Amino acid sequence: MPMPNDSLLARGVTLPQIDLVTAQVVAGALENIALEMGHKLARMSYSSIIRESEDFGAALLDSMCRQLCECPISTPLQLGPIPGYMRGIVRAMEEVGDEFLPGDVIMHNHAYYGASHGPDIGIGVPIFIGDELIGFSFTTAHHLDLGALTPGSCGIVDAVDAYAEGLQFKAIKLYEGGRRNEQVWRILRQNIRSADMVVGDIEAQVAACRLGAERYTELVKQYGLETVLASSESLMRYSERMMRQAIAAIPDGTYAAEDHIDGFLDDPNPRRKDLRIAVSVTVAGDEMTIDLTGTSPQVDDRPINMPLIGTVDIALYVTLRSVLLDSALMEYVPQNDGLIRPISIVAPRGCLANPIYPAPVIARFCPGNIVASTLMKALAPVLPKRISAGVGNLKVAAYSGLIGENYWVYMDITEGSYGGRYGRDGMDAVDTLFANTRNNPIEDIESHYPLQVTRYELIEDKAGPGRWRGGLGSIRDIRFLSDGRGSLEGEGNKYAPWGFDGGLPGTPGAVTLLPADGGAPVELPSKFPSYKFAAGDVLRTVSPCGGGYGDPLERDTARVLSDVIDGFVSVASAAAHYGVVIRDGAVDEVATAALRAQRR
Amino acid sequence: MRLIGVDIGGTFTDLILADTDDGTVWTHKVPTTTADPSIGMVQGVIELCQQAGITPGDVDQLLHGTTIATNALLEHRGAEVGLITNKGYRDILHIGRHQRPLHYSIMQEIPWQDRPLVRRRHRLVVDGRIGPRGEELVPLDEAEVRAAVHQLKAAGVASIAVCLLFSYINDAHEERVRAIIAEEYPEAFVTTSASIFPQFREFERFTTAAINAFVGPKVQVYVQNLVDRLHAAGLRAEPHLMRSNGGVATAEMSAARPVTLLLSGPAAGVLGGSLAGTLAGRERLITFDVGGTSADIGIVTARGFAEASARDTWIAGFPVMVPTIDIHTIGAGGGSVAYVDLGGAFRVGPRSAGSTPGPACYDKGGAEPTVTDANMVLGRLDPEFFLGGEMRLVPEHAQRVVGELADQLAMSAPEAADAILTILNHNMANAIRSRTVQKGHDPRDFALVAFGGAGPLHAVDVARTLGIPEVIVPPFPGITSALGLLTTDLKYDRIRNQFMLNIAPDLARLNHDLAAIEADVRDQLLADGLDEAQISVLRMADCRYVGQGYELRVTLPAGDIDDDAIAGVWRQFHDIHAAEYGHAFESNPIELVNLRVVGVGALPKLRATSAPAGGSIAAATLKVGSSFFRHDGELRELPTTFYRREMLPVGADIAGPAIIFQKDSTTILPPGSVAHVDASGSLLVRV
Repeated sequence: MPMPNDSLLARGVTLPQIDLVTAQVVAGALENIALEMGHKLARMSYSSIIRESEDFGAALLDSMCRQLCECPISTPLQLGPIPGYMRGIVRAMEEVGDEFLPGDVIMHNHAYYGASHGPDIGIGVPIFIGDELIGFSFTTAHHLDLGALTPGSCGIVDAVDAYAEGLQFKAIKLYEGGRRNEQVWRILRQNIRSADMVVGDIEAQVAACRLGAERYTELVKQYGLETVLASSESLMRYSERMMRQAIAAIPDGTYAAEDHIDGFLDDPNPRRKDLRIAVSVTVAGDEMTIDLTGTSPQVDDRPINMPLIGTVDIALYVTLRSVLLDSALMEYVPQNDGLIRPISIVAPRGCLANPIYPAPVIARFCPGNIVASTLMKALAPVLPKRISAGVGNLKVAAYSGLIGENYWVYMDITEGSYGGRYGRDGMDAVDTLFANTRNNPIEDIESHYPLQVTRYELIEDKAGPGRWRGGLGSIRDIRFLSDGRGSLEGEGNKYAPWGFDGGLPGTPGAVTLLPADGGAPVELPSKFPSYKFAAGDVLRTVSPCGGGYGDPLERDTARVLSDVIDGFVSVASAAAHYGVVIRDGAVDEVATAALRAQRR
Repeated sequence: MRLIGVDIGGTFTDLILADTDDGTVWTHKVPTTTADPSIGMVQGVIELCQQAGITPGDVDQLLHGTTIATNALLEHRGAEVGLITNKGYRDILHIGRHQRPLHYSIMQEIPWQDRPLVRRRHRLVVDGRIGPRGEELVPLDEAEVRAAVHQLKAAGVASIAVCLLFSYINDAHEERVRAIIAEEYPEAFVTTSASIFPQFREFERFTTAAINAFVGPKVQVYVQNLVDRLHAAGLRAEPHLMRSNGGVATAEMSAARPVTLLLSGPAAGVLGGSLAGTLAGRERLITFDVGGTSADIGIVTARGFAEASARDTWIAGFPVMVPTIDIHTIGAGGGSVAYVDLGGAFRVGPRSAGSTPGPACYDKGGAEPTVTDANMVLGRLDPEFFLGGEMRLVPEHAQRVVGELADQLAMSAPEAADAILTILNHNMANAIRSRTVQKGHDPRDFALVAFGGAGPLHAVDVARTLGIPEVIVPPFPGITSALGLLTTDLKYDRIRNQFMLNIAPDLARLNHDLAAIEADVRDQLLADGLDEAQISVLRMADCRYVGQGYELRVTLPAGDIDDDAIAGVWRQFHDIHAAEYGHAFESNPIELVNLRVVGVGALPKLRATSAPAGGSIAAATLKVGSSFFRHDGELRELPTTFYRREMLPVGADIAGPAIIFQKDSTTILPPGSVAHVDASGSLLVRV
């Protein structure tokens, strides 16, 4: 039976010449299929992390596992890894001599076989026309629990190896040749907390994949396989061309930057904190090499290592295209395999960015976002009008508890903020860089869990000053209404987002426990494993605020005044950072001119 | 009965007068008076009445589709709005769902941050909190509310949105704030979030309320002017305004909830398309309204038009959570610009040349090739007959700009023009596919009703792409929206949050609550001056599998709901879930989330139009010329007959290649298609 290497593409078929019009027509149809898959997955699913936060992905791949299209809703960190998942599945199947059958549905989450990390389960369906394997329909989604050592699927920051992170699936067939593999489903139900929800979400993924397979088959029947493949290749070449042009516009040379992650700030072991991320970009003509040499060694027994395939590569690709092919500034360039052809990534084995099995990786998200922002920092001097100053990172928290013998598990993703941009202030309180999920409505959280969101607002007066100031982060308080547990993975409690071109740095974030008994607030590190919380305890998360761009003394005084009136900036900061004197709700022009002159 | 429909667009105000007794129709078009559209409208009404030989006092009903609210939002020109919300949640409107609109962009705009509906200085917080079961967790601090109202008044805020958490379950605090505003600042325009749409998800509900507050004062002034001017002109009938839900409301109701007017015009279009299809005896319709910049697509089945899921509607980048006809809009129209981008991809739209500078052939300075220019190059538009000769087109300009594009693509000009249309038509076909195939409708079972100035130009090609067997071109394609206004009813939506599981139904409570909502909506319609015989009520419920976050709507039978009836409701839910998503979770429990009641007050309406007078084929034939068509895969210049629509005799069959001109549109019949001139006045095209 067929494997990718037996498929038409691998046999070296000569594809017909394709005209631009047909290519565009097929492109639209492909995009439409991926959109439908994602839309239906979101609507059908149970857990808020999928249906509200949109932490899922959907895409179609050709028989060589190359991405053809993706669902524009959902989040880049779920979309980008899909080809890697499928390649990992193929590798795993080849190792054991398994093969694809029509009617197969395959589950996979092995981070050392292409998966992004364990909680993001990939479901793949091979697509056949007769005996010919023509591609794959694929979805990924973040699941609430996978039977790890503590409840939830984030904040498992004390996992000592890959086994402690939860169930590992390496190309497991949920359906084989159309027959449901009941034993596997039973294992899932028996080993996962809050299993009804998780299994329901997996079912929704299966349904969405099958729908994608059906639609792709219809498309191939309508246009013929060779035309669809030729159109797809033409689309990939288009994306590749766009990327190459953008790279070629950067002067040849090497551009480097580094930054740090908190790691485990409360850990006495210095090897677990203040870890370096180093990014060096070499541009040669229309190709780019991104080298992560200099990044700290892996942490053998703490899960902040980042799989090279599925996390590091996605952080880099997503950031690069957001800077070079910014979709607010130009036509939408289809996300496909072509975009990554001109780029190579180097990361020494055994560093944080290319760990060795079974080093744990489940909490790789936040460090990955620093890889992304450090790439932007490296490019900033040559692309000053396309980047933002330093970006505030996110935090992901798991809340859980027992009702009788049953678990409830809730996952909350809090936002970061962007740094200032050329001509624009930073974006306030948004997901950043390779993440783009949605928050869960307060009214949804409180209706379903014994939790209360008691505050959700912007932080005032903390954004990095600049001609274009950094974005404001948020402050979010969640109170336990009954005894429960909480765990958290975040970054940015120590290292503030960087300022650019005379802009000042932003501010670090914070995590604070406000105890139920009214005791003194307790500052917590940016990562902690499953702690017990008492009814009434409040967990406060504060986002880092973005760095400033350009000299704050250059900022338009009217904008400073407006910020003061809106409470974004205090009167004191207006004077201290911006040299703007505000009296009685107006700018004192004379005093301001004097103060600014004195500062310069 | 004499009815007038008025649809105000960006450039023109379309008017239609119909006598429902004999189906006679008069039409009129006047320039839109942008500063105050009611001026042009009333002038148009007076002229239209003169044309029909009646006085405004003889008009029984005036129905109106307006873009006043839409434009205020799109152009971000509304009131200075204040917000009163719970302490601790000042920035819900600013943080939104913390998602960036674009995945891959550093320089993007975030609409709710860059164009705030309520600036932070006017977002004030007060103590008070309702919990998730409607319980009062913290009492409302009325002194703080009063202080906030004074502060907003002093700041010159004209409109106040009151947005409190969980008000969709218990609106007591919001209503109390409303009462305090009425005491302290009675002139303010007040919007409470639960009164607009009581549904969970605070950002979306608050934003909907904030939009209402933002456009409210402007709409209020407009509606007042309109009523005054119409009365001054002698009109006795109370004007009714079209709303996004496909029904009309009184001027007063519309002015209080202007956010429900955002899709007024497009909704009227769907109804107009529906009327044309119905008169031709067709039941399953895709309405296809194509103008200069966009195409609006709607679906009509035996159950009427489809309603959008409340969370699928976005306008000007903001979520809007009110009942809305399911209309899908894409940026594809006559003004869509064709170009080759930096990577060598050939694109058509969504960028549009609009009406200024417009397509190159308009001779108003347009320098880029548009869809209209492509049609010109292919010989499908006639410089003499465009808009009935009101605007002279310059074919040389079209030739030049399309020729430049053709050079870039190494094609001939007609080939490039044909390619522009191919891409545009496929973009449109994809949009239709997303509303049909993706929703479990087979487009081959539908007819495509094509209208708007550009719909009939593209309809046959689009239908062929999708396997749609028939295209219907209404008698007056350009004013179909105005026609649609004459088919509407008063329609009020009521929604109430009520949780109930299928494994533990409480039928007594269900029946009691339904009866109460029904009584409320009947009272409203009676207050609007309708009598019992005109009133009908539809009852529905939004359901989901327990744990899901999105609901699907099921209909509830009339009368008392017993065990059998509720069993049918649950069955219906499984079936709808399977139809919508391709899968049903039959063993999972179902949760009923909302009760919905729609009260409909039947208005007199246009049910048939008189058959066109027509003439003869000979009289209708303008000339035999030539134009380009793709035939058997090849682009060829074929002899083509050009007709004048109004002279075509009923019953005639016109075979393509042919082109039919009329004052407000042009219908293209490619080779192989045949148009039948139907007694209903529409062209029925077998594609």
